[in-house]
Amino acid sequence: MATRLQFENNCEVGVFSKLTNAYCLVAIGGSESFYSIYEYELADVIPVVKTSIAGTRIIGRACAGNKNGLLVPHTTTDQELQHLRNSLPDSVVVQRIDERLNALGNHIACNDHVALAHTDLDRKTEELIADVLGVEVFRTTIAGNILVGTYCALSNRGGMVHPHTSIEELDELSTLLQVPLVAGTVNRGSDLIAAGMTVNDWTAFCGSDTTATELSVIENVFKLRKAQPSAIVDEMRKSLIDSYV
Amino acid sequence: MRLEFCWFCSSKIYPGHGIQFVRNDAKIFRFCRSKCHKNFKMKRNPRKVKWTKAYRRLHGKDMTKDSTFELERKRNRPERYDRNVMENTLKAIKKIDKIRHDRAADHIAQRWKPKAAKERREARKELEQSISLIKAPLAIQAQEPAITVPKIKVKVPKQQTLEQPMEE
Repeated sequence: MATRLQFENNCEVGVFSKLTNAYCLVAIGGSESFYSIYEYELADVIPVVKTSIAGTRIIGRACAGNKNGLLVPHTTTDQELQHLRNSLPDSVVVQRIDERLNALGNHIACNDHVALAHTDLDRKTEELIADVLGVEVFRTTIAGNILVGTYCALSNRGGMVHPHTSIEELDELSTLLQVPLVAGTVNRGSDLIAAGMTVNDWTAFCGSDTTATELSVIENVFKLRKAQPSAIVDEMRKSLIDSYV
Repeated sequence: MRLEFCWFCSSKIYPGHGIQFVRNDAKIFRFCRSKCHKNFKMKRNPRKVKWTKAYRRLHGKDMTKDSTFELERKRNRPERYDRNVMENTLKAIKKIDKIRHDRAADHIAQRWKPKAAKERREARKELEQSISLIKAPLAIQAQEPAITVPKIKVKVPKQQTLEQPMEE
């Protein structure tokens, strides 16, 4: 079920939180209502961890992770790293990466099996991603954008990409990732998908600006409601995209 | 808070000290004081500047290879907090620091060791050769006949006699 919420009057919830199947990270400094929404949905199932990364609140874009591991940038302080390690379950490997491209959440889009990576990532980083997250890594672009982490929200059951992605590219990525993909928007037409929403296998959180149409597309592609025939997704796609680039 | 090391002189930078410079390729340079910062801006190579740790290690003045250095390295994969492990680590840090300090002092003492023997050898030679500067050899001969003072040969140039008759 997709929930709409805001962080301090800002609809980009994918920036201030990171949701995976094994844990959820939220930024500190927001109002308690922000946490309470997460905790209401998730508290019994997975740990909800309040943290900062490098003293900042933009944790969703700074780190990349799935149920197997969490990758944080080299600017993460030792205390934050220790806090993450203590709060997360032992099955999750926490690893700090020495990489020039610091905002790992913008450069890596991953689910539990496969990851898309920025084309300019180091070879060592790519190996670490494959090792820590236990995924197969593909260096791709999405609609010509190299920041795959921002323009693609991925879960084990579906994915949503930048609205200007062509059909061929959608099919190509779909076969790579082995999940159904849809090109859509979030937060009233924002194309920064992963910044505007955060998703795992059974729940999603979007900014409160997200329209009902966008929300229903999200729920259909990520299969958050009971099984819907896929024809509806195709129909929606036709009505939402007015031009193929 | 983390105690970083100065990029130029390798000394510890405590909170509230120094300057950090971030280059366009995202490499961070930390300096402990303006001395190091200014040297960096002059594009000096710390490996050539005598008072830095980089120079001293490169030229063998300070200890480089030792097992005590393995404790202090950057670790990117943390372990869950365990009180016993923390306690043992703190004790170990103290001990290993002391051992490293002693070994480094030993290393420098080893470097200075040959100096004493060399000085003694040179002093003995000087004593044998230049004792005449202090005491006349005949005097030494008279007092202690056992010691043989090396004879000093002094070259005297042949005196040129004046051929010119005195003018009257």
